[in-house]
Amino acid sequence: MMEWSVGESAKKYSPTLVDIDGKYTLNRLTEDGSEKIISKITITKDDNSRRLIIEHNGTIQYAYATRVGDQWWIHYDGRINVVNMHEAGSKGSDADEGGLTAPMPGTILEVQVKQGQRVREGQTLLVMEAMKMEHRILAPNAGEVITVNFEAGDRVDMGVTLIELGD
Amino acid sequence: MVGAPHPFDSVLVANRGEIAVRVLRAASEAGLRGVAVYSDPDEGALHVEVADEAVHLPGETLGETYLNSEAIIQAAKNSGAQAIHPGYGFLSERADFARMVVAAGLVWIGPPAESIETMGDKISARRRMIDSGVPVIPGEELAISEDADHLGTLAAAAARVGYPLLIKASAGGGGKGMRAVHEPRMLRTEYEAAAREASAAFGDGTVYVERLLTGARHVEIQVLCDSYGNAIHLNERDCSLQRRHQKVLEEAPSPAVTPLIRAAMGETAVQAAQSVDYEGVGTVEFLLSSRGDFFFLEMNTRLQVEHPITELTTGIDLVQKQFEVASGMKLAIQQDEVGLFGHAIEARIYAEDASKGFLPAIGKLAMWRPPSTPGVRFDSGFREGDEVTVDFDPMLAKLIVHAPSRKAALRRLDTALSDFVALGVTTNVGFLRQVAAEPAFTNGEVTTDYLDSTSLSTFSEPKPEDAILVAIAAAASRFGLDRTAGSASVTDFDEHSGHSGDPFRTLTRSFP
Repeated sequence: MMEWSVGESAKKYSPTLVDIDGKYTLNRLTEDGSEKIISKITITKDDNSRRLIIEHNGTIQYAYATRVGDQWWIHYDGRINVVNMHEAGSKGSDADEGGLTAPMPGTILEVQVKQGQRVREGQTLLVMEAMKMEHRILAPNAGEVITVNFEAGDRVDMGVTLIELGD
Repeated sequence: MVGAPHPFDSVLVANRGEIAVRVLRAASEAGLRGVAVYSDPDEGALHVEVADEAVHLPGETLGETYLNSEAIIQAAKNSGAQAIHPGYGFLSERADFARMVVAAGLVWIGPPAESIETMGDKISARRRMIDSGVPVIPGEELAISEDADHLGTLAAAAARVGYPLLIKASAGGGGKGMRAVHEPRMLRTEYEAAAREASAAFGDGTVYVERLLTGARHVEIQVLCDSYGNAIHLNERDCSLQRRHQKVLEEAPSPAVTPLIRAAMGETAVQAAQSVDYEGVGTVEFLLSSRGDFFFLEMNTRLQVEHPITELTTGIDLVQKQFEVASGMKLAIQQDEVGLFGHAIEARIYAEDASKGFLPAIGKLAMWRPPSTPGVRFDSGFREGDEVTVDFDPMLAKLIVHAPSRKAALRRLDTALSDFVALGVTTNVGFLRQVAAEPAFTNGEVTTDYLDSTSLSTFSEPKPEDAILVAIAAAASRFGLDRTAGSASVTDFDEHSGHSGDPFRTLTRSFP
């Protein structure tokens, strides 16, 4: 059983689709376990093309969808959105606690704090360079620097924890 | 180029991405053999595909590849190319490279090295403009060298110039090495950031300060000069919509420029170009105050990213003109023959996440369907399936619309952006739609500080209902779109008609 979330939102949805002659109708939807009231949505696949045909509230729109990893990238109604797939029962949020991660692969230019130092919210902790532009890593909240994992000149990959902040 | 004094039949394009594609296609149209260069990550890139021949540049860094003058000149010689077009960025504004190209007996498709040198250094450019009677930005001029007591000198000059001010690296450009300082206590931090950015991007850490004019517009004039002293201008482009000095949307003509201002600014731009004996295409950038005064900012001695909006509104192909001028042909057009037709807007499509402070994004362009409707031009170096990496600039494409009026161009832009299917990499397409729909932009009132002084939540996108998106994703999974991605299934035909694709189905589309 799959669960789905939209963009950065932590809400988990479980849809029930009914297949009638190759046309899927959304029959039920639960949001974090509770039933949601839904209007009628039916989806068919456009023959000989990668489009989906979406009927909703009496209008027809087209959507393009493609899967990248565990994400469905969707172009619908002139907007692009990402829907994430989760195994049912997986952990609600994968937000790291206290750790500040590298948003991009790049190089550390300057570390402005030391281990044990108190910082205020919004204070610059570290400056890194990615794609020839500088990015400042700011403290999301006031706290104490628990660890500093890199020094100036280090190359870092995307997602690695740069600095850990405690209360 | 029949009858040209210095004809050439082949050109090497010392660049990559959309501009290399643009120039190589122009070469092909002109009957020239096009030679591309590429580094390892670009093996199989679009610019390599469209070239008649491609030369590999070994090495990992830009210095070893696209910025390697010797290797590029050698590539031209080995491939038999007779001319070099530098595109924009990379070596395009390096006077020493222009000299090396000429010394190697090749045709340099660009202005003389001396013009690049004078205009490339912001301080010498400013002096030359003052001497030639071109108005410059009010404020004090100052050169700071790294070795002296630079902070003391800087602070003293900053106090005289007054805040807010702009610290600029003399060798900067494209928003790099340029920082606004709003109060004295930020001076040191911003100076150091500017110096670092400039030395990282351009190999020169010199900076200087000037007064920051707020509430002004960025308006630039396209100039076109031949090697016989003839010079004309091709009207203005308004690039006021910027984020941290990076242009976001550009348009021609400017909603703030009257025929009177256009004539005065155009004449001044031609004067500026002639003061450095300019040749080829170039751009003179001005700040236009709300009172209609304008001040010289800098001259870009190359083709600009936003050149297509000038091409669409004048009907003049700037790359072909570059070829003609470089081959020694005279301008075959007079100032009074330059027209201004309709309105054009360019949107720069970046791989970046507007909702996360414009963080650059990477990934594979899993689906990439540019809009193709009348009045839409799409310049890109990417194709579906291409990988967006951190190796190069995050600009993916330029979407340019042309329509009879500004109002129609705005509508066309919104339609084109909403039709653009770019999946797999986060882009600024949705952000661009929001910005272009804001009254400040639709009313033509945007000044250069607009984006940086407006809360980003203003531009947050409306989202479809979660239920619809979840239903689409779940249905796409059930239809197996993840398994058949990339190719249409041949077994998919209409059971009733026996044809693939029901011709009547498209007729039921409803328009909101």
